[in-house]
Amino acid sequence: MMNAPILWIAVPFITGVLLLFFLRERISPLIAGSVVTILALIALFIPIDTALLLGSISLKISPSIQFFGRSFFLSTADGPLLAIIYGLAAIWFFGTEASGTANRFVSLGLMIVALLTASIAVQPFLFAALLIEMAAMLVIPLLVPIYQKPGRGVIRFLIYQTLAMPFILFSGWMLAGVEASPGDINITIQAGTMLGLGFAFLLGVFPLYNWIPMLAEEAPPYVTGFLLWVLPTFTIIFGLGFLDRYTWLRTSPQLSGAIQFAGIFMVASGGIFAALQKHIGRMMGYAAIAETGLLVLAIGLRSTEIVNVTFLMLIPRGLELAVWALALSIIKREVYSLQFNELQGLARKYPLAVTAIILAQLSMAGFPLLAGFPPRLALWQELAGQSLMTSFWVFIGMLGLLAASTRTLAVFVMARENTAWKLTESWLQMTMLGLGVIGLFILGMFPQVLQPFIVNLPALFIHLGR
Amino acid sequence: MALRLTRLTERFSWLVAVGGAMLAFTSVFIWLAQMPFSLELPAWQPLSLFVSPILFHADGISWPFALSVAALTLTMLLTAVARPVVANSYNWVGALTLGGLGLMAVTADNPLTLLLVWAALDMTELILQLVSVDGASNNDKVVTSFFTRALGTGILLWANIVSIAQGSSFNFQSIPSNAGIYLVIAAGLRLGVLPLHLPYSSESNLRRGFGTSIRLISAVSSLILLAHVPADSSTTFTPLLAAFAVAAALYGGWMWLRAPDELTGRPYWIIGLGALSVTSALSGNPLGAVAWGCALILVGGALFLASVQQVWLNRLLLVGVWSLSALPYSLTASGWLGKSGLFLPMMIAAQALIVAGFVRHALRPSGRDTFESQPGWARSVYPAGILLLIISQLLLGFFGWDGALMVGAWLPAVIASLLTVGLVWATPRFRIFNPIRAHWVNPASSRINIFYNSFWALYRTIARVGNTITNVLEGEGGIMWTILFLVIFISLLTQGSY
Repeated sequence: MMNAPILWIAVPFITGVLLLFFLRERISPLIAGSVVTILALIALFIPIDTALLLGSISLKISPSIQFFGRSFFLSTADGPLLAIIYGLAAIWFFGTEASGTANRFVSLGLMIVALLTASIAVQPFLFAALLIEMAAMLVIPLLVPIYQKPGRGVIRFLIYQTLAMPFILFSGWMLAGVEASPGDINITIQAGTMLGLGFAFLLGVFPLYNWIPMLAEEAPPYVTGFLLWVLPTFTIIFGLGFLDRYTWLRTSPQLSGAIQFAGIFMVASGGIFAALQKHIGRMMGYAAIAETGLLVLAIGLRSTEIVNVTFLMLIPRGLELAVWALALSIIKREVYSLQFNELQGLARKYPLAVTAIILAQLSMAGFPLLAGFPPRLALWQELAGQSLMTSFWVFIGMLGLLAASTRTLAVFVMARENTAWKLTESWLQMTMLGLGVIGLFILGMFPQVLQPFIVNLPALFIHLGR
Repeated sequence: MALRLTRLTERFSWLVAVGGAMLAFTSVFIWLAQMPFSLELPAWQPLSLFVSPILFHADGISWPFALSVAALTLTMLLTAVARPVVANSYNWVGALTLGGLGLMAVTADNPLTLLLVWAALDMTELILQLVSVDGASNNDKVVTSFFTRALGTGILLWANIVSIAQGSSFNFQSIPSNAGIYLVIAAGLRLGVLPLHLPYSSESNLRRGFGTSIRLISAVSSLILLAHVPADSSTTFTPLLAAFAVAAALYGGWMWLRAPDELTGRPYWIIGLGALSVTSALSGNPLGAVAWGCALILVGGALFLASVQQVWLNRLLLVGVWSLSALPYSLTASGWLGKSGLFLPMMIAAQALIVAGFVRHALRPSGRDTFESQPGWARSVYPAGILLLIISQLLLGFFGWDGALMVGAWLPAVIASLLTVGLVWATPRFRIFNPIRAHWVNPASSRINIFYNSFWALYRTIARVGNTITNVLEGEGGIMWTILFLVIFISLLTQGSY
C-alpha cells in the first residue's frame, strides 16, 4: 500500500532536502533526475486508487492523506498530469550538470516541484495560493547567490508573487458569496476583479510582467528558465481548476473577454518587445511572456477544447525553455554578458548551442516542424472561429518572435572572414542539447506522441470539456 | 544522407548521387501510370483539433512541377563534372536534399503539408548556405533571405486563419476567394529573390551549380501555391496586386534583357517569370501559372547550368524560345488563357523582353569554360544533362499534365513572338538595349539598400519607443506606473461589463 501524496509530494521534497545537505555536486543532478523520472513513469503506468496484482503481491496507491487538518488528494485522472510534470522536471534536472548551475538548483528545484504538486492536490483548493507562494519563496535562494544583494528584478518578483496571494484568498471568500446569491452582480464583479488581479500578479499579465525581463538579465539563465516554466505551468493548472469549479466563471462572457484581452496584450507586447531587445536573456523573458499569453488565451477560449489546447501548449513550453536556457547557460560561461555585441560570430565556436537557441526561439515563434507549431495551429484554429482580430494580434506577436530569432541568428553568424567552424561544447552538453533539439522536432512533426498523456486529462476538469 | 555517412571517394559519391537523382527522375514518369494518387502520413492527434492530414497528392497540376524539379536536380549533378569544384559531395547532398524537398513541396495537397515542407526547405537552405559562405555581410544576406521566406510561410498561415474564420477548412479546395490574395503574397515573398543576389562571390562555382538549385527550387516550391489560388479570387486588392505584378514582370524582363550575364540576371529572370505566373493566377488561370513556373525552372535551369562553351549546345538552348513563346503545343501554351483585361499588352511586352533576353544570354555566353580541359567521359555526360532539361521542356508541351497539347490563346503568343523578333533585332543596334556593365548593377542593390535603411530607421524608432516604455516600467517608479496602468485597465474592463 502506497500513498499518492507521499509518493509525489513528500518523496521529492525529502529528496531535495537530503540533496541540499548531504550529497556532492556532481551526482545530485543524476539522483534528482532519476527520482523524478521514476515518479513520472509510476504516474504513467500505475493507476492511482486501483489495486494491481504483481504475482502474489497486491499493489495499490491510495489517493489521499490528511496533513494538519488539510487533505491532499490525487485521483486516477491526475496520473497523466503528474507524468507530464515530473517528465519535464527530469529534463531540467538532467540538464543541470551540462548547464554548470550550482548544486542547490536540483535540491531546491525538487522542493519547488513538490510544493507546486501539493498545490494541485490540496483541499480546500484555495490553499494552493499559499503553496504557490511558498514555492516562489524557495526560488529566491536560487536567483540570488549567497552573500549577494538581490537585484531589483528579484525583489519585484517577490513583491508581485506575494501580492497575488491575498487577492486569490480574498476572492475565494467572495466566491462563496457569489455561489450563495448568483444574481448579485456587484459581488460577482468584485469577486471576478479580485480573482483576475490575483492571477494577473501570479502569471505576470501586462503590465505586471516587468520583473521577468529584469530577472532574465540579472539571474542565471538556467534558473530563470526553470522559474519561467514551473510557476506559470502550475498557475495555469490552478486557474483551470477555478474555471472548472465555478459555473459563473465559465459562463461569464465578460470574464472570458477579459482573459482574452489580457492574453492578446501579453502575446502582442511580448512578441514586439522581444524583437526590440539586444540582450538574449531578456529576449527569452519576453518570449516566455508571449507564451504565457498564449496559455491565457487558451483558457479564455469559449470552446470544449480548452483542456486539450492548454496541455498541448504546456508540454512543448517546458522543452523549449529548457533547451533555450541550457544553451544560454553554456554561452554565458564564455561571455561577460548576453548583450548582442558580446555574441557576434559565436555560431562558429558554439554551433550546437547556437542551433539550440535558434530552434527554441523559432519553436516559440510557431515555426512549422518544431514543437511550438502544432499547439499554436490548434489555438489559432479555435481563435479564428471566435475572432479574427484576436488571431491577428497573435499573428503580430508571433511575427515579433520570428524577427527576434532572426536578429539573434544574424548576430551569432556575424563572424569575421576565414573563421573556422569548431565544436567547443562538451560531450555532455552536446548530448543534452542534441536530445533537446531532437525532442523539438519530434513534437513538431508528430504531436500525436503526446496523445497518451493528454487523452485523459479532460477527466480532471470535467466541466470544462463539456 | 548515404553520401555523407558512407564518405565514398568523390567519383563513387558522384555516381551514387546521380543514381539517386536518376531514380527520382524515372519514378516521376512511373507516376503517370496511376495518377492521380495520394500518400497520407499518420494523422496528428487529437483529431478534433487537427482536421487536415499530412497529405501528398500527384495529379495533372503537380506532375509538371515534379518533373521539372527532378530534371533540374539530375542536370545539376550531371553538369557538375564540367565545373572546376567537382569533388564536393557536400553540395551534392545539398542538391539532392533540396530536390527531394522540392518534390514534396509540389505534391503537397493542403496548406499544412506545404507549411511543413517549406519549413524543411528553409532550414535546409539556411544550413547549407551558412556552412558554405564566409564573411559577415554574406551571412547577413543568408539570414535576410531566411526571414523573407519565413514571412511568406507566415502569410500562408494567415491565409488559412482567414479561411477558417469564414467557416472553411484547412485545405486548398475550400479556400475562400478573399484568402486567395494572401496565397499570392506568400508565393511572391517566397520566390527567393530577396536579397537580390546570392551570398556567393561572382567567381564562385557554387553560384552556378548549387546556386541554381537553391534559386529555382525555392521559386518553384512557392509557385505551386499559385496553382491553388481560386479562379474567382477577385477582391478589391486584386487589380492593385495585378498592377504590381505586371510592373514587376516588366522590370524583371527589362533588367534581364540588359543584364551583363545570365547569372547576374538570374534574380530578374525569376522576378519576370514569377510575375507572369502571378498574373496568370490573378487572372483566373492556374494552368498558366503552372506553365510559366515550369518554364522558369526548365528553360532557366538549362541556361544557368550551362557552364561550358559549345556552339551546338548554345544553339540547342534556343529550344527554350519555343518553350517560352506560348505558341500552340508549347510548354507555355496555356499562359494567356486567363482574363488579363487591360494588363494584357504589358504582359505581352514583359514576355517579349524575357524571351529576347534569353536569346541574348544563350547566344552570347560570357565567362564560360571550354571543353578542352575536360576528360572524355565528362564531354559526354555534361551535354546529356543540358539536353535532359531541353527534352523535358518539349515533352511537357505534349503530354503528362492538364496544360499539355493545348492550342491556347495563340494571338497574344504571335504578337509576343513578333515583338521578340523585333527586340532581338534591335538589341545590338540601339544603345538603350545594350547590356549594362557589371559594376552598374550596383545601383539596383543600392536601391534595395535604401529600402533596408528605411526599414531599419523605422525599426529604430519603434525600438526607441519600446525602450522608453521599458525604462519607465522597470525604473525606480516602475511599480507605481504598473499600478496606474492596472487601475486604468480594470476601470476600462469593469465599465465594459456594466
